Amino acid sequence: MLRLPVVSRGLFPAVVTKGGAAATNNARTAATAAAATDLIEVFVDGKPVAVEPGTTVLQACEKAGMQIPRFCYHERLSVAGNCRMCLVEIEKVPKPVAACAMPVMKGWNILTNSDKTRKAREGVMEFLLANHPLDCPICDQGGECDLQDQSMQFGSDRSRFTEGKRAVEDKNIGPLIKTIMTRCIQCTRCVRFASEIAGVEDLGTTGRGNDLQIGTYVEKMFMSELSGNVIDICPVGALTSKPYAFTARPWETRKTETIDVLDAVGSNIVVSTRGGEVMRILPRINEDINEEWISDKTRFAYDGLKRQRLTQPMVKSESGQLVPTTWEDALTRVAGALQGAEGNDVAAVVGGLVDAEALISLKDLLNRLNSENLCTEEGFPMAGAGSDLRSSYLLNTGIAGIEEADLLLLVGTNPRYEAPLVNARIRKSWLHNELQVALVGKEVDLSYTYDHLGESPKVLQDIASGNHPFCQVLAKAKHPVVVVGSSCLQREDGAAIMAAVSTIAQNARVSSGVEENWKVLNVLHRVASQVAALDLGFKPGVETLRKNPPKVLFLLGADAGCITRQDLPKDSVIIYQGHHGDAGAPVADIILPGAAYTEKCSTYVNTEGRSQQTRVAVTPPGMAREDWKIIRAISELAGVPLPYDTLDEVRHRMAEVSPNLVRYDDVEEANYFKQANELSKAVNQAVLTELLVPPHLTIKDFFMTDPISRASQTMAKCVKAVKEGAQAVDEPAIC
Amino acid sequence: MASTAATRTAAAASRVVKPILSRDLDEAKRRVRELYRAWYREVPNTVAMFQLDISIRQGRNKVREMFDKNKHVTDPRVIDMLVIKGKMELQETIHVWKQKTHIMRYFHESEEPRSADFLSKFYKGHDP
Amino acid sequence: MAASLVRLVRGGLGRSFNVLNRSVSVIQQQSRLQSSDVKPTVRPKDAVAHNHLVAFGEYVAEMMPKYIQQVQVTCYNELEVMIHPDGVIPVLTFLRDHTNGQFRNLIDLTAVDIPTRQNRFEIVYNLLSLRYNSRIRVKTYTDELTPVDSAVSVHKAANWYEREVWDMFGIFFANHPDLRRILTDYGFEGHPFRKDFPLSGYVEVRYDDELKRVVAEPVELAQEFRKFDLNTPWEVFPAYREPKEAPPTLEAGDTSTEKK
Repeated sequence: MLRLPVVSRGLFPAVVTKGGAAATNNARTAATAAAATDLIEVFVDGKPVAVEPGTTVLQACEKAGMQIPRFCYHERLSVAGNCRMCLVEIEKVPKPVAACAMPVMKGWNILTNSDKTRKAREGVMEFLLANHPLDCPICDQGGECDLQDQSMQFGSDRSRFTEGKRAVEDKNIGPLIKTIMTRCIQCTRCVRFASEIAGVEDLGTTGRGNDLQIGTYVEKMFMSELSGNVIDICPVGALTSKPYAFTARPWETRKTETIDVLDAVGSNIVVSTRGGEVMRILPRINEDINEEWISDKTRFAYDGLKRQRLTQPMVKSESGQLVPTTWEDALTRVAGALQGAEGNDVAAVVGGLVDAEALISLKDLLNRLNSENLCTEEGFPMAGAGSDLRSSYLLNTGIAGIEEADLLLLVGTNPRYEAPLVNARIRKSWLHNELQVALVGKEVDLSYTYDHLGESPKVLQDIASGNHPFCQVLAKAKHPVVVVGSSCLQREDGAAIMAAVSTIAQNARVSSGVEENWKVLNVLHRVASQVAALDLGFKPGVETLRKNPPKVLFLLGADAGCITRQDLPKDSVIIYQGHHGDAGAPVADIILPGAAYTEKCSTYVNTEGRSQQTRVAVTPPGMAREDWKIIRAISELAGVPLPYDTLDEVRHRMAEVSPNLVRYDDVEEANYFKQANELSKAVNQAVLTELLVPPHLTIKDFFMTDPISRASQTMAKCVKAVKEGAQAVDEPAIC
Repeated sequence: MASTAATRTAAAASRVVKPILSRDLDEAKRRVRELYRAWYREVPNTVAMFQLDISIRQGRNKVREMFDKNKHVTDPRVIDMLVIKGKMELQETIHVWKQKTHIMRYFHESEEPRSADFLSKFYKGHDP
Repeated sequence: MAASLVRLVRGGLGRSFNVLNRSVSVIQQQSRLQSSDVKPTVRPKDAVAHNHLVAFGEYVAEMMPKYIQQVQVTCYNELEVMIHPDGVIPVLTFLRDHTNGQFRNLIDLTAVDIPTRQNRFEIVYNLLSLRYNSRIRVKTYTDELTPVDSAVSVHKAANWYEREVWDMFGIFFANHPDLRRILTDYGFEGHPFRKDFPLSGYVEVRYDDELKRVVAEPVELAQEFRKFDLNTPWEVFPAYREPKEAPPTLEAGDTSTEKK
């Protein structure tokens, strides 16, 4: 939640701000043009500012460049108005008003720095500090605490306090969030976050006045995939991170702005490091992707980066043991194996965390060895349009685009656990924009209500052919969106499902009469590397390798266990390159240690098709190297040197193959749905009767999905806590 | 230092500058020659005194190399400053205030040349 | 500091300004006793000492108009005399030998590097008069290549101080009897107190077992710098972080621009 001082934020949370579809922009410009006439003028410290009617005093002051201190007010949450810190004097108004809750009136002169305002703030601060413990030296919020900062700026310089302070019992709300409830100032931001953003009614208040407490009513966990965000929005040290407790201070950490790769959303994050160690991960604002939230896996799986790591090259000895060796030895063996095999006897499988630089160098290497066998672990139906048309494998509407939709059909997916921030967007739209949601697939808790249309893929064909009651709803929609989960496209009948969904989307587009650039069909991916791999021309799925087993198999971070030694001939060589000793490394003959996403500067393309870069926060452990460099080194030893030595040259090569990969933070538009639909009609495949069940059904499936989170102790604790209750992982409190 | 000072001097060319020692370039060059001569004569003494494992020719070549390093300098004041520093070095050498290690630092014996090709950089470390 | 500097200039304008200041200071003196109780942390003004310094500074400026460019008294009642670099010997001699000054002790001599200035180095002489228990600070300026006259002929104490300034800043002192390095190692290159000298230096030394001597190599840091980021990552109030006051504008008659 690092806020830049100049970030222009939406002043009006109800009016959704986003880039993208020009159509809605037109509508909005028309609306603002109409509204421009009835702007009202108010004064902030005598400075005139024109605002829309209904704007609060606080927003008007912000527009005039004056920040009002606040605790309970948060831009993305509803207004509570209970901390009273934002009291300001208004000229000719007898009492100071709470700026966050009071709409402005014409001609008001808001005095943000008058004696009365300052006295009001000082008084409120004194009341807040009456019950707040003075334990800043041992508080994890110290240095980034709103109360600390604002008491320095607006508080009194001495205390008149002699009475005893209130003490509150701490609650155990799970292995991620540490509560020191005595520090709580009852701003209720966490309660509002839980009920509004996360959509779980787990947190609430009990008691009144001095006895008001935040809690879970009964002893239970705060069970949400977005729970970690309450740590960020808590203005004091009442809710802090349990894994981060007492490990570092914010001023001594070095911050690296990077992106997350543990799901396909590509949330923007800040990695805090100290002395070459990742201390914690915080969200970074990106209105188009994650707003200012991140999922718990993104935030807390970082301890997996320190465990189970491959730190030195290894080769399998005669006795079948993997023994550490030098880079020279390992690379020479790899080069020998590659040179010994001919053409399509060499194959490669790439996993879900691989960056585009490694993908392009691996593809170039294998192409130079006359092999075209490059596969991704995640499947995608190649019948019909396949991956030729970019629009058929992207979340074309965009994450922010969901807010403009009025009808959303989810097919075989559980966005809450496959892409929690997409789900948060859907929930936001459902809450504020009356988005109607329907689901085909296993019934799951999505934190909002939806029409469940059935679990069988047959339902899809009914909707496609117009024989389903839902078709009438679909026909009425103005901005329909269809999202199909990547998991259901990996079934045997994936192509048929894709064809049906494509037809539904095409019909909905025609019936809604929406503008040409509105996109209906969307695919929601689960892994970060998939879109880049498809962009670069990798073949989705490993079926081809099962049919034609290669002699040399190169696993690049392939840890899903799609292909095992049983699928290959006896004398085949498996090379594993990756950063964790997970499923792929034990089966390999040669292991090459690579770098994880916090350790390299690399490109990832999220499910929208937005390419983003990770940055180097720490150096790779031991002898591990960046992935593309390893492949580049192999190529030299194998006698087919790749023509790039630096990152810039690799990216230049990426731009040759797929220019969108280097247009960072930009979504490359793709719009070939009609063509894709026509191609999909050629698919002659029957759907199976097997039900559509997404792989992540409940929250316990969410925490451990990739090598990093599988190596994380925090994530393991979460799974245990979900299964056995928060007491099972409770540790004796130090403080 | 020399280059920034030189540009600054060029910018203020119209201004009369206070000379350090020499009034014009010829005088500055004369001082350089004197210093070079002094160093040239001192090399055999130094080699003997410090018991260096180099020949006199090597020492003189090094002296020449050090002078050649600054041969692009044309501003008499910069030349003077370098001459002053060179004289101080010479003084430190003649009086044996320096030790063997200081003299041998001119020769950069222990430094390994940085490898340029991709593979050796790869073997060496993370950030070649 | 700039806010509370009382700037004086030789000439009539400065004097009339001074008279005004004196009348104000009487009022200040009266209110001093009350205000010192209320604000114990605010340093009380000593108007008597201040006026002494002002008068002496003005006197010095009048005596040596050729060299003295500006005279000022800081908020801590320290008299500062800004002089042209040519005037080091005359001004220091004057201050040493004048009956009303007798600044015979050179307490300190140092330099300050301000790279943005045209004359990037400021040389500071701190003098003490034991006779009058008074101190004065003389400041002059130079750049990397302009020599400054050595003060050794006036104050013997300047010898090692000037060697230190030469060593640390690379300021050349003309006519110094023994200008050579004093703090850095023989063979050390560069001047460490210059702002463009890297914090970690250029070379690091270690003992080499093969060569049997200490060798110097280009610096390669094994451990990263400790860098503290003191800005809070959460809420920022830029409106409250900006400096409250703009630097005070120069008053009429106070033409300190003549320093250039």
